[in-house]
Amino acid sequence: MNAAWLPLLALATSLVAAAVIFTLPERAWRLRTAINLAAAIAKIALVVLMVRRIADGIEDTLRFQVIGGVDFVLRGDALGIMFAGLSSLLWLCTTLYAIGYLGRSPNQKRFFGFFGLCVTSTFGIALADNLFTFLIFYELLTLSTYPLVVHKGTPDALNAGRIYLRYTVTAGVVLLLGVAMLYSLTGDHSFSSERGLAPYLDDHRGLLTLIFALLVGGLAVKAAMVPLHGWLPRAMVAPAPVSALLHAVAVVKAGAFGILRVIYDLYGIELSVALGVMTGLAVAASITILYGSLRAIAQTELKPRLAFSTISQVSYVVLGVSLFGPFGTIGALAHLLHQGLMKITLFFCAGSYAEELGIHRIDELDGAGRRMPLTSVAFTLGAFGMIGLPPTAGFITKWYLGIGAVEANMLWVVAVLVASSALNAVYFLPLIYRLWFRPAPTESGKAWPNEQRHGRLETSAWLLWPAVFTAAISLGAGLFAGLPYSPLEWATRVAVEEYLP
Amino acid sequence: MMLRRMDSMMVSFEMTETLLAVALTLAAFVCLFDRHLLRATLCFIGFALLLTLAWWRLATPWLALAELLLGAIVSGASLLFALGVLPTGAALKPRHDRFPVPLSHGVTRLALSVLWLVLMAAGVRHALPAMALSPSEEPLLIAAGVWVACALGAFALHRHLLRRLLAFNVLGSGVFVLLAGMAGPMLAAQLLILVGLCIAALGTLLGALLIRRLYHLEGLEALDPDIDKTVAQ
Amino acid sequence: MNWRWGWEAATFAPEPGESWALLAALVLPLMLGGLAALRPPRRAWVVLLAALPLLASGAALFQAVQGVALLTWSVSFDDVTLALRLNGVAALLVVVTQLIGVVAALYTAGLCRLDESAGRSRWLWPLWGVLLSSLSVIWLAADLLSLYLGLELMGLTAVGMLLLSGKAEALLAGLRYLLVALVGSLLYLLGVALILAHWGSLELAQLTEVVAPEPVAWLAAALLGAGLATKAALFPLHAWLTPVHASAWTPVSALHAALVVKASLYLLLMLWSLLIPESHVAPLLLGLLGALAIVWGSLAAWRADSLKTLVAASTVAQLGYLMLAFPLLLGPEMAPEVQTLAWQGFWLQLLGHALAKAAMFMAAGNLILATGESTLAGLAGTSRRLPLSLLVFGIASVTLMGLPPSAGFTAKWQLLQAMLLADLWWAIAALLLGTLLSAAYVFRLFRYSFIESAPRKTYRPLAPGMEGGALLLALAALLLGLWAHYPLSLLQGASA
Repeated sequence: MNAAWLPLLALATSLVAAAVIFTLPERAWRLRTAINLAAAIAKIALVVLMVRRIADGIEDTLRFQVIGGVDFVLRGDALGIMFAGLSSLLWLCTTLYAIGYLGRSPNQKRFFGFFGLCVTSTFGIALADNLFTFLIFYELLTLSTYPLVVHKGTPDALNAGRIYLRYTVTAGVVLLLGVAMLYSLTGDHSFSSERGLAPYLDDHRGLLTLIFALLVGGLAVKAAMVPLHGWLPRAMVAPAPVSALLHAVAVVKAGAFGILRVIYDLYGIELSVALGVMTGLAVAASITILYGSLRAIAQTELKPRLAFSTISQVSYVVLGVSLFGPFGTIGALAHLLHQGLMKITLFFCAGSYAEELGIHRIDELDGAGRRMPLTSVAFTLGAFGMIGLPPTAGFITKWYLGIGAVEANMLWVVAVLVASSALNAVYFLPLIYRLWFRPAPTESGKAWPNEQRHGRLETSAWLLWPAVFTAAISLGAGLFAGLPYSPLEWATRVAVEEYLP
Repeated sequence: MMLRRMDSMMVSFEMTETLLAVALTLAAFVCLFDRHLLRATLCFIGFALLLTLAWWRLATPWLALAELLLGAIVSGASLLFALGVLPTGAALKPRHDRFPVPLSHGVTRLALSVLWLVLMAAGVRHALPAMALSPSEEPLLIAAGVWVACALGAFALHRHLLRRLLAFNVLGSGVFVLLAGMAGPMLAAQLLILVGLCIAALGTLLGALLIRRLYHLEGLEALDPDIDKTVAQ
Repeated sequence: MNWRWGWEAATFAPEPGESWALLAALVLPLMLGGLAALRPPRRAWVVLLAALPLLASGAALFQAVQGVALLTWSVSFDDVTLALRLNGVAALLVVVTQLIGVVAALYTAGLCRLDESAGRSRWLWPLWGVLLSSLSVIWLAADLLSLYLGLELMGLTAVGMLLLSGKAEALLAGLRYLLVALVGSLLYLLGVALILAHWGSLELAQLTEVVAPEPVAWLAAALLGAGLATKAALFPLHAWLTPVHASAWTPVSALHAALVVKASLYLLLMLWSLLIPESHVAPLLLGLLGALAIVWGSLAAWRADSLKTLVAASTVAQLGYLMLAFPLLLGPEMAPEVQTLAWQGFWLQLLGHALAKAAMFMAAGNLILATGESTLAGLAGTSRRLPLSLLVFGIASVTLMGLPPSAGFTAKWQLLQAMLLADLWWAIAALLLGTLLSAAYVFRLFRYSFIESAPRKTYRPLAPGMEGGALLLALAALLLGLWAHYPLSLLQGASA
């Protein structure tokens, strides 16, 4: 039985929260916090309910007509709910973190309002069942992240906002053109329909390739693929929670997820292979992976290094998609979740270092492990995951991607994976070494750059526990990958659906 | 009555009508091209009174009455008000348009308006071979065409606000006569002209109020880009 | 085209209730305006209460058209027929006009409350009434005489309203507008004269049966087009528009940019579809000018230093989108589906822009009133202190940029589909470029508003109703895009 209210309600939790927050006065701190948390928890509960229903084979669909021949459709399917679940879970964590991070600083109403809108857009992107709906939320995401990027209002932040818009609005226009051309060719095409675009292959081969290029080109900007990645490192001037949720998860993943949708659910894998676009995509992803890692090594500040690492890691998803075969798909889908959990942990920790000790540069990290042990453990777990050491979640995705590459007979991809893991180690291990094995400045009589004592623990509880929690989950996702409802198990379910219609 | 007029039109270029058309055209010329503003305005009032006669001749008494009330009295009074003659009688502002007009400027505007006249006439003749009143038999129509062209030229040429308002009024009168000539004695045409007369009178009133107010506030007599800038500063 | 414009025999005669609603929609604004001139309202609820019957009449007309798709009224005497027709397009336009009119009235009441010295504001009310009535006449009229009457009344009232602020710049701009509008209306009148002389009728439904592609139709279309394009500020005849808005009162600017320029454009499209439905050159020319208008207007808005100039210049660009629809709607080889898509896109863009532009002018007015500064640089720091006004501006600009889910986006989508089907690639380029440029000028403003280092100023508080109404309009423009199916189904006329 279809419950159209379920996706709508799940979407509305964050939207209504945002609307209510906009109407509250700035000083209503407690009420705002309560609304935020209540909405985030309600959203997770609704997502859990949807996951259960999808496991039972029911895909709840909300549908209404926008204009003739074009519908607005939200459908809770297995692939979409993966991304939706990730963003809902991380919304709760990030909200908690942001409450601590922002403290009593001004403009919180604006921050949390637009934050809610961002989550709404991400959720809509996840559940969109056709390109039109996808486009609506994709553009909404662009608009609602701008106020967060420029939140600090400094010239740096404003310039970053301008560059962010230049990239994303242009990408949105390119995407719009692609979507419009596709609609003009094929009409409304549901992601869930079994009928691919194959019937159009013979007559419109060139047009289909052009549309593919426009769609993926528009999406690749948000996925920060080289050379369209320029906005991401600059956007790191945003507050830490924004960098954490939006630039490690929501925005870049929205791009990668869009590419997934286009290849799996719109064109179909066979058609994409037949068009001959997959190899090009794999090469682009590989270049991005290596380039991102190399640039990350050159960074001397913590957040830009993480940003370039994001650029590199997100392209694993794209790489996995472009490997024609079930293992590549499983790797890509699992990495969508794993990378989100690991990277958000890293950003949380980076924000905590900056808040508690005033650490921004990498050489200032010396000895921070003893001053902030739990945070540093979380950071270390995240970094190990990024490198792909067993038994972390990162290892699992790299393993599956490797098998996928071997199966697809693309051995050079294995080489890329090995090289990138080595590069990951090169830029993450020194951090961990500094954290645990170098003496703290306090030991030689100097002080931390800007030490604040937030709370009784090593830092404020708001900042500490979300990081520990996400680190624990990312570890758990690796350790218990075989259990039902683990990211890997769910990714396998989706991949099986894609390959065995 | 209509039939009788049609008969009389057989005798082409009847004397009185020709005289009327010539007198109207003369009045229009003075009104458009005399730099002495009061004289131009008075000529416009004379023009409106003559036009009242013309409407009467064209067998449209309602329009004659409207022209008398709206054209001669309301518009005339508005223009005199704008000049500062009414209601005080004291001369508030210079009575001459002192804006220089470069010769080349004048020639190009004149050429353009003549070109417009020729194009328009050719277009109408080609598009509408059977007009209700034939221009070849009705001197008023030819005269109206001339006013329209002159008024357009004057509208484009002059910078003084009052003179532009005058040009608009002559232009409007010409268009109304042309309309009557093209469409003939239909009630619909008369109603259109009536509405047009009302609007022209209202517009003139509004324009006159504005000119007076602008002169009062800023001492302005013309619209110019450079003047806009000085006001904005 | 005829059934789209409602130029055909109605199946049902109007019921008395529907006729009363029509009468109320035409006359009530006049009465309310007169009443308000005698006792200018100061409180929002008074305005709302007084506006209720007006809104009810609009709703009744809307209800009526849903059932029967087309209703006609006409009065004949001698050879003159005054005809009104109510179809989906007219009903939508009347309702939107009333909505914007009432919100503008709310805003005016608030403005008068704040500004005790606004002595001339008393004059605004009767002009408001005449403007709303004449607009309704234009949307409903089905003969050229009523249309001429409505157009001229609207034009003169608009000039009168724009002058009310009484500043010298306003007077100068207003005088230029007046001269332009008057000459434009004479051109229009010449065109009508040709039609009347050649076909002997002013009633549009009758004319559709006799009009044929012949020189007189082209000449009349050229004259009407020139006159109306001047009044609608279509590029390149737009020079009068920006100065007029720069110094006018906010509610007046809102009404003018949202409705008055649209009325002339509406007439232009309607008369051209009557006279030259199969012509190729004229619509193409207008479309090319529209593409230029988008670029030119957006660049002008981008370079603007003052808030109101920015908003006014963006009107020029937005009208360009509407002009782009002309070569899709008229033309010999346009397929029916292209025309349908373009038709829907045209009206969505027109309605969406009307709502959004009114909201935007009000938001801009609020910002200027509260900060006391009219430049963009003066907005520094407003995102903290005036979030609601800025949010309204933001929501309205989503429609302007044509980003989803706004009406602007859905309109753009429909136009894009039509252009793709018709292979008009230059128009597609203009459309997409317009999105980028409009984002550039809109976010330039937001960039200023987010600056945190601005000195703290004391902001003037705003009266109730000044922000709520604007927010309502902006949200309406946003939601119109998502629920476009319902209004669009009305646009399709009787056969849909």
